[in-house]
This record gives sequence, C-alpha cells and structure tokens, in this order.
Amino acid sequence: MSNETPPGAPAAPEGRSASLAVEGLVAGYGEVVALDDVSVTAGAGAITAVLGANGAGKTTLLRTVSGMVKPRRGRVLLGGTDVAGRSPEQVVRAGIAHVPEGQGVIPELTVDENLRVGTMSWRARKAERTTALEEAYGRFPPLAARRRKLASTLSGGERQMLVIGRALLARPRVLLLDEPSLGLAPRVMAQVMDLVVRLSREHGLTIVLVEQNARSALSIADHGVVLNLGRVVVSADAPTLAADVALRHHYLGF
Amino acid sequence: MVEFLQFTLSGIVFGMVYAAIALSLVLIWRGTRVLNYAQGGMAMFTTYVAIEVIYKTHSYWAGFVVALAAGLVLGAACEFTVVRPTTGKPPLNAVIVTIGLLILLEGLAGIFFGGSYRSFPPAFTITGLRVGGTPLGVSRFDVFVAAAVLAATLLLAGLFRYTSAGLRMRAAAFNATIARLSGIRVARVLTVGWALAGLLGALAGILVSPSTFLYPNSMDVIFVYGFTAAVLGGLDSPVGAVIGGLVLGVALSYAGGYVGGSVGADLTPLVALAILVAVLMLRPDGLFAGSRMRRV
Repeated sequence: MSNETPPGAPAAPEGRSASLAVEGLVAGYGEVVALDDVSVTAGAGAITAVLGANGAGKTTLLRTVSGMVKPRRGRVLLGGTDVAGRSPEQVVRAGIAHVPEGQGVIPELTVDENLRVGTMSWRARKAERTTALEEAYGRFPPLAARRRKLASTLSGGERQMLVIGRALLARPRVLLLDEPSLGLAPRVMAQVMDLVVRLSREHGLTIVLVEQNARSALSIADHGVVLNLGRVVVSADAPTLAADVALRHHYLGF
Repeated sequence: MVEFLQFTLSGIVFGMVYAAIALSLVLIWRGTRVLNYAQGGMAMFTTYVAIEVIYKTHSYWAGFVVALAAGLVLGAACEFTVVRPTTGKPPLNAVIVTIGLLILLEGLAGIFFGGSYRSFPPAFTITGLRVGGTPLGVSRFDVFVAAAVLAATLLLAGLFRYTSAGLRMRAAAFNATIARLSGIRVARVLTVGWALAGLLGALAGILVSPSTFLYPNSMDVIFVYGFTAAVLGGLDSPVGAVIGGLVLGVALSYAGGYVGGSVGADLTPLVALAILVAVLMLRPDGLFAGSRMRRV
C-alpha cells in the first residue's frame, strides 16, 4: 500500500482513512471547564455526529482536537498517533482539517486565493498546487465561475463550498465540520449534507460533524454522540439515537 | 507658478519617505495589531550602520545594501525577542515594549556612534535640476529617493499579490485562526512582516538622512510624519499609506514653503499635528476606510 497521495487528490483515497479517538479529554477556558473527561471515537471513513445544546462543549471538542485549545488532560489519537497539544499548524499537517463555525471564508481574498490558502500545509511545486485547485473547481463548479471574485461576494451556500473545498485541499484524513448548515436555506443545507455524505462514502474521509440541527445530522450520520455540560451523555449508532424519543426530547430538541 | 511646482515636487519627494515609514507601520499593524513606536529608531540605527560601512569601504552602495540587510535582521530580531512575548497580552504591553525599544536603540546609538550630528552622503548630486533655466526644486538625488521608494512599494505589492509567501502574509493578517488551521505558520509569517518593515524603515533612513543629518533622535520627527501618513491612510491600507505619505508631504511642503523662513520651518510639525488630530477626530478609520472593502 502506498502512502503517497497522488498529485491533485483532494482527499485521502480509500485505504488511507484513519479513525479519530479522543480519550479522557479535559479542556476549558480559564476557570471554566468546557470538556470534562470526554471520550469519543470516530470510526475510519464514517460520519460521527456530535450533538447537544448550546454550551454542551461541541465546539470546544473540535477546537481542542485541532489544537486551537490546549487540552489539560487526555489524548487525541489519529490512527495510532497522539496529536494532543500540538499547534493547529501541526495538526492539519498530521491529517486533521477543521472547518470552524461561522462560514470561515476570508472575505478580503478572492475565491482562488481562499482555496490556495488550503494548499499551504504541504510543500509542492506551483504546478501541483494548480492541479489540486483545478480538482477542487471540478468538484465545485459554482466556485470555478467566480474564482477571481472576492469571497465576500459569494452566497451562503457558495461560502460553505469554499470553506469545505479549502479544508479538503489540505488533504486531510479526518474532517471536522462545525455547524456547516448554520444560516443556510433548507435547500442549500440539504446540498451541504449531501456533500458530506459523498465525502465519506466516495473518499473514505472520516468526518466529525457538529450540528445544532440534530435531526438532519442523524439522518446522514453513522454514529452519534450527545454532549451535555461538557460530558458525554450517550454514544450510539445514529438510528438508535434517532429512535430514542426521550433522549431526542430531552437533549436534541426534536 | 514656478514656486508651486517646486513645492509640489519637493513635497512629493519627502512624501515618498513618509510613505515608506507609513508602509512599514502598516505592514506591522496589519499582521500583529502593534504600532511600532521603535520604527524610526530602528531606521536611525541602520542608517548609522550604513554610515560606518560607507566610511570603511568608501562605497555608498555597500552601505546601502548592508543597511537594508541590517533592517531586515533588526526587524525580525525585535519581533522575535521582545514583541512576540506580548502576544495575547493587553495592547498597552506592546506599546510600552516598542517605546522601550526606541529608548534602548537611541541610547545604544549614542554609546556606539556618539551623539553629535553627522552628515550622511546622498547617492547622487543634490544640485537642483533645471528645465530650460527654471529650477525644479528637486535634485537628481531627490528623483532617486522617489524612485527607490516607488520601486520598493511595487516590489512589495507584487510580493503580496503574486507569491505564495505574500498570500500567507495576507491570510495571516486577515484571519490568523483560519490561516493557522490551514497550516500557515503564522508566527513565522509575522517575523517576516517585521523584517520587511525593518527593511523599508532602513530604506527611509538612508534616503532622508542627507537632508536631516544623522543623530540618535534624527528619525523621531520623520516617524511622526510617517505615523500621521499611516493614520491618514487608515493604518490598515498599504495604498492608503502611500497616498497618505504623498498628501502629507505636499501639505507640509506648501506650509513650509509659502510661509517661508524660520516660521515656516517651525510651522511644519504643527501642520502635521493638526492633520493628525483632524483625521482622528473626523475620520478615525482614515481617509480610505470603507472604499477599500467595497471593491467588487
């Protein structure tokens, strides 16, 4: 098995996908403990939904995995490698790409420049970067039509395409998505969810999906984890969670 | 009419120097949100390095190149040693640190190079150019000053717009979080930004010192003018910094020129101060804020 990613590959090909396991993670901000002994496993090539109310610790979980928040205790295992405590620059090189909430395009840069930022984690010739970019445009045709435009001119759905496209250009094995459907119209949201499914099924990408909208997240997820006040309440496969009326009512709001 | 032309041309020349200082401040401000009060002091120090090299080698251009290199190194070293520890601390910390750096550099310059006024050679003759017997008010060296700053500005613009390193710097300046999540080593990028700012400052120091003499405080007033130009342009806008420098240079040239004599010379810093206060009161985001973002 080759470990080389072929030039221009937007995401890890099958056989390179890795599981992500968080073990006993404790993290917080100052006095506040946002994650209290959290253990979550995201299976290789599967979609794992992380659900819960505001302040449950979902975003902090992703921020700790990607290195934006330093964990006080615990391990973050990518495949078998502990990446806990590494800087965000190092974590993305290890193979974990994080799409933060709030449609993180850089509005002052063009669409093309935003995408090129995604290729900065690997060393390559210009030609190789260009090939990778063309792949991304092939995947997201609406972006290709607007590549010279500033990202601030894009619609909400296009912005979400752009940030996911940028994350994929880092050639991750694990993709962390924080509320990708936030603020999108229902039809656009369905497109984003379809895209997430395709990334998992067709490219074997391991996906951790944080969602406020539990119903749509569980409809595409393989596995679900519910957080409450920084602790794991329940971890089960998605159909089981969706069928649990009491749990849905109590923690998921549908 | 001839006077007007002379004042305008010499205003543009000085304005280019202010623009270089303003641009160096903007470079640092955009990346680190730090206003580098030591920028003038760094430029003064590298100009002393230049004069020592020129004295030893008898070559202006050796001094020129060594000073620019010293500016690069000094900028990076300052960021790395004293500015970086202020990251994430209250903004006042960085202010105090850069003011402390200024005092340190001026003190060291006094110790190493002496406190007396020293003349600094120009690259070319400072005899005024004439067109058909009419003096233009600028010399061949003045033309070099404007051309050098213009070239440096265009090179920087090209670096930012067309290279990967430039894209990294812009991404880090606009959104450090996304830049880091994308694998850009933002800390390293900031060091490079300070290095480039140090280089621009060094250039400004070499270019302005033939007209001001060189002494440990000689860049103080140039720094204030550069700062005013940067505020005029909005602190965030490289284009605004250059235009701000030109506007200020021409305004000060008219003030000094038309009032004339020692009153005019005393008046120029006051005019700069008045412009600074007026901008801060009327348009605190600078003259070019707003229009910058609306480019579609």
